[in-house]
Amino acid sequence: MSRLRDQAPTLLVAGLAAAFGVALLQITGILTAIITSQNGFSESATVQLMLGLVAAVFIVIAVYVSAIVTSNTVATVVAGRTRLIALLRLIGASARTQRVAIAREGLLVGAAGSVLGALVGTAAAWGIAEIGMAQGSIPRAEYSLLSPMLLLPVAAVVLTTWLAAWTGSRRVLAVRPAQALGDANEADFDEVSARRGRAVAAWVLAVLGVGLLALGVLVGLVRPEGVLLGLLGGILSFTAVVLAAHRVMPPVLRLVGRMFGERPPARLAAENAVRHPERSARMTIGLVIGVTLVTTFAVTMETYRSMLLDATDDRADLQASIGPVIDATVAVFSTLIGFSAVIAAVGLVNTLSISVMQRTRELGLLRALGFDRTQVRVMVLVEAAALTVAATLTGLALGIAYGWAGAQSMLGSVGAGGTGVGLVAPVIPWPVVGVVVAAAAVLTLAASVAPMRRAVRVAPVRALAID
Amino acid sequence: MQIQPSDLGLIARVTTLAKRYGSGSGAVSALEDVSIGLRRGEFTAIMGPSGSGKSTLMHIMAGLDSPSSGRVWLGDTEITDLGDRELTLLRRRRIGFVFQSFNLVPTLDVRANVMLPFDLDGRRPTAQERAWIDELLDTLGLTARVTHRPHELSGGQQQRVAIARALATRPDLVFADEPTGNLDSRTGREVLALLASAAAKYGQSIVMVTHDPIAASHADRVVFLADGRIVRDAGRSGAEQISTYMLAMEAAA
Repeated sequence: MSRLRDQAPTLLVAGLAAAFGVALLQITGILTAIITSQNGFSESATVQLMLGLVAAVFIVIAVYVSAIVTSNTVATVVAGRTRLIALLRLIGASARTQRVAIAREGLLVGAAGSVLGALVGTAAAWGIAEIGMAQGSIPRAEYSLLSPMLLLPVAAVVLTTWLAAWTGSRRVLAVRPAQALGDANEADFDEVSARRGRAVAAWVLAVLGVGLLALGVLVGLVRPEGVLLGLLGGILSFTAVVLAAHRVMPPVLRLVGRMFGERPPARLAAENAVRHPERSARMTIGLVIGVTLVTTFAVTMETYRSMLLDATDDRADLQASIGPVIDATVAVFSTLIGFSAVIAAVGLVNTLSISVMQRTRELGLLRALGFDRTQVRVMVLVEAAALTVAATLTGLALGIAYGWAGAQSMLGSVGAGGTGVGLVAPVIPWPVVGVVVAAAAVLTLAASVAPMRRAVRVAPVRALAID
Repeated sequence: MQIQPSDLGLIARVTTLAKRYGSGSGAVSALEDVSIGLRRGEFTAIMGPSGSGKSTLMHIMAGLDSPSSGRVWLGDTEITDLGDRELTLLRRRRIGFVFQSFNLVPTLDVRANVMLPFDLDGRRPTAQERAWIDELLDTLGLTARVTHRPHELSGGQQQRVAIARALATRPDLVFADEPTGNLDSRTGREVLALLASAAAKYGQSIVMVTHDPIAASHADRVVFLADGRIVRDAGRSGAEQISTYMLAMEAAA
């Protein structure tokens, strides 16, 4: 039973991803039905294609983030089950059997989660459509909620959860049967194996990507097609960041950790945040992806707005109509990307919670040595804060750089009198930054409530326990 | 005027101590009417078979658990009814711990582990304390290892770091819970010799819980517990003598 309870967060993540994907497709379908009933079929085919493509991009992002989150959760759960796995190995179970069992749990949980998510997503889409039609804000049309397309996100979520559980359970292979006998305190600092292939790939992608981004900005000064080079460069260099997350995030975490000062709770928290570089990287990278995408988009649109305003200096009527359109676009897209950030946040909350609980003995030790309850609370809070602040800062920095490059490569050549606006500074959308920072603060608190409460309950005697 | 434990040359004292778990017919008694004083500067071993109550006695004396009845002193401070906050400060400033499973903080290096009690108190060690810590690290053969993390050390080295941490603040009393339980016999002997010399050379009061007669033979005094009561209180004893007594106790049970 406890085995399946460990998987509750995976169920939630799979459910969220499937609900998001299905809701998005359902809404796309309903919009298409409405447009067909209004304008006839020929025009709606293009619209459907466009809407479908946009939906696909967001669904892929959400599924990708949820796969990272799930593989991280499974890896953390496996770390906590080391003793049990070692015991089963001791009495004769093979590592492979155990790994297959964990992957099967992933498949079951993924299937249950995505079916539940699909129902919730469909209900949400139906609710939005019916309310909109009842209020008259969208025209009434016949629509169906049973498109075969809906199977795509459901299948994608099931498969990625399964795959992620398999990837995350790699550590099972490293468990030695003898660990059932001795002290199985986690001492696993060399999780970061020298995977040279990954490092080389990351470097190649980073160099190529940054080069293309620079080229895109330069070409963008002459022709708007520069944005295509920039987009490619952005995708390549960001993939490099994700691939090398276990190298990129720990230094950022250390830097952020230092901001919290030298007092023992803060110093221990900062060390805790990087004790498993691989795990910390996976915990934060989902959030980095979300924040980067939101910021990139917002900065691009904001810079775009300022360029347009410059270019249309003499057309007050045009200027008045630009504002609302850009605001609405930023709001809609940020919400859609923000959903992936929510999935990442669920993962972070959960992984932090599990990893704090796996340190019961260490918490007991600190209490025995004279940590008071407040210091224990501060330690957990600072660890959560270090993770979210590091992810948020990285995302904001990357997002501002990408957003600027995007706007510059797309619009550098556009301007009043065909001269082009040249190089401009990025425009930072402060309201969006404010929302991101506030969300990070809320996330920090949410992530630390449960582990804090459980951590202070650990009695100092726990340090003396032999287990 | 009340007689203080220190007037008797004692560093820790319990009187008519009892500890019961559960209530009614299901109640289990871990300690019954235990009274004992630990002398300042002595290395005391508390022995007894599993379930004799020796761990419970140590937990209560170290402020990690509270008695059902009776009174407990550390130095001249009665700690029987202290709250969590006061007990925390007491552990931080006046008690040192050495555990069976070493229990170093894995994210801190050797020096930071030894300095932890000072850091927790939010103060820097004085010049005198720093000299003492350097001497400790030197005596324990850890000088070359101060920047290592626990996972880079052998079991014996980790336990020496734990001893350095326990002695660093010159606490009133060091509690050692089966300190050789996870070590091979040669390394175990080294650790026991270090504890004994800390008492002999520096006057550090130490109490060690163990069920190993060889470990107990390093102590100045050996107290035997059985079924929650003190059944024998002897001076320095040989391992053979201790084993014989333990076997006799088993046979009588």
